[in-house]
Amino acid sequence: MSELAPVAVNLLGVVGHPGFGDSPYRVDADGRPYVPAGDGGIVLGLALGDSAFAVAADHAAPGACLTHPDEAARHALVLYACVGNQVRVTTGPAAGASGAVLGKRGEHSQVITVFAEADLARLRPGDEVSVRTCGQGHRPAWLPPGVTALNAAPGLFGALPVTVPRAGQPAAEVVVRAVLPARLAGNGLGRPAAGWDLDVQAGPGGPGGPGAAGELRLGDLVAVADIDARWNMGYRRGWMSVGVVGHGASPLPGHGPGVTLLLTGPAAELGVREDQAGPPAISAALLQLQ
Amino acid sequence: MKTATNAGRLVTQVLAGQVWPALADRHGYRTGPDGQPFVLPGMGGVTLGVHCGDPATGYASDHLEPGASIRHADPAANMAVQFLSCVGNEVRVETGAAAGATGHVIGQHAYVLADFPDPVAELLTTGDRVSIRATGQGLRLPDHPGITVKNCSPGLIASMPGGTGAGGKLEVHVAARIPAEAIGAGVGMISEYANTDLMGAYEGLSGDLSLGLESLRVGDVVALADQDHRYGRGYRPGYLTIGVISTGQCLLFGHGPGPSTLMSGPAGEFRLIDDSGANLSAWYHGDAWAGPR
Repeated sequence: MSELAPVAVNLLGVVGHPGFGDSPYRVDADGRPYVPAGDGGIVLGLALGDSAFAVAADHAAPGACLTHPDEAARHALVLYACVGNQVRVTTGPAAGASGAVLGKRGEHSQVITVFAEADLARLRPGDEVSVRTCGQGHRPAWLPPGVTALNAAPGLFGALPVTVPRAGQPAAEVVVRAVLPARLAGNGLGRPAAGWDLDVQAGPGGPGGPGAAGELRLGDLVAVADIDARWNMGYRRGWMSVGVVGHGASPLPGHGPGVTLLLTGPAAELGVREDQAGPPAISAALLQLQ
Repeated sequence: MKTATNAGRLVTQVLAGQVWPALADRHGYRTGPDGQPFVLPGMGGVTLGVHCGDPATGYASDHLEPGASIRHADPAANMAVQFLSCVGNEVRVETGAAAGATGHVIGQHAYVLADFPDPVAELLTTGDRVSIRATGQGLRLPDHPGITVKNCSPGLIASMPGGTGAGGKLEVHVAARIPAEAIGAGVGMISEYANTDLMGAYEGLSGDLSLGLESLRVGDVVALADQDHRYGRGYRPGYLTIGVISTGQCLLFGHGPGPSTLMSGPAGEFRLIDDSGANLSAWYHGDAWAGPR
């Protein structure tokens, strides 16, 4: 895409509700049945900056997941919504409250939104939320030619630890919590990155083993090496993709913290540097939650 | 020696299905690794001319499903067909020009995939009804309690070379070994449904996409490194999954030839024997398959 001005589109999201089939159980990676809590709808007691492994839950997001009763409209909502977009509650006890998009979930097509704690407590399933979607197709002028931006509100990168290339340098540099190898990429592979996050099979007791991957926090930037996310997500040697952790871990095999991808390009043009000590890149303050 | 099984304790259920159409939407294009839009056949209906033993890649096709693609019209009954049908189960054509002919299940891919000799497949078409003699779920190997078996007919276990070897390991002949980086779409899904797409097998595309898997054949028995498919599909170092390539060529990125799961357990409980002949065609292509291939 060229450097055309992005357009904003107000879309309707509806605060979701968890759903089950006839059985209460899912089966974890060790074969133990469990009742999945925290998967969709409104999750309390979890905040940006918390560990992605802090709670005994399944794909829990630190806020409210939005959906839409019409499938085509739901896909549009998820495809258009970008990290950092502002949202406004229009019905229910929390009407008037504002929040922001943190990420998206491919499973059942949902947008992850975050609010100030008091606003979230007043939110109810079925409440309507207006999402000011903007960002898909936008290409920041500083991007190296081979790098693609996606799922990012215009201006978001200015608030993130992204160093734009200086004259004569080919690469941007992003400070991330961890750089994960492609073999840890999970659910989301083969799906379009504009509408689906990439679960990483990482965690303190998980298959990725100890180390940085076990320290992921909600709102962290994470890089996955050798994954090309320009369209569908898949393996490409020498490539790098960077995104934000939008939801927490899952007991399901092949699942884990979900990364909504923001940048993807050749590793030679998209440099990453690990920092295990700094604060999460996307915080309540950055998203102006108050 | 051949490994012992509990095959005598398994039941056979007769399931019904029909050859299901290929499905598309009016905006038909999908997207390849380099952003190339494409419309290609392969899923649904009856795909002719590609069988077990044939190359999995090298066709102008996407998600190539050899032979007949089968579902049941009722959603719940369809899940029974998808979950209970096992590789090697007999499929009998009940209606249409090919009525009375038999083939066998080669895997699942959100359709049950049944391979027939081309003279039969030529007569078979969308809407024809089939029955499946489903047996295999619940199969166990008493001498290998750490290994989970699924989607595998007792007859397939009996036909495969290998068995319980020295030191008590399960010897399995495999045509290829697959690195963890190749695992694509299908990871995170249950392992009694659909299959695991392998990336790195995009024949004719750039080298940075390749994981050296362009020579896979339909029906190959393969070993997936560091994959635990006992209760789904996920990455777990030190585990091993055995599958059979049931689908072929893909252009859709993050997808590729796919193994349906047969066995999974700690890698140390297996002994792999590299054998280019480890292919369903070696055990299921009898006289009916004679002729130039």
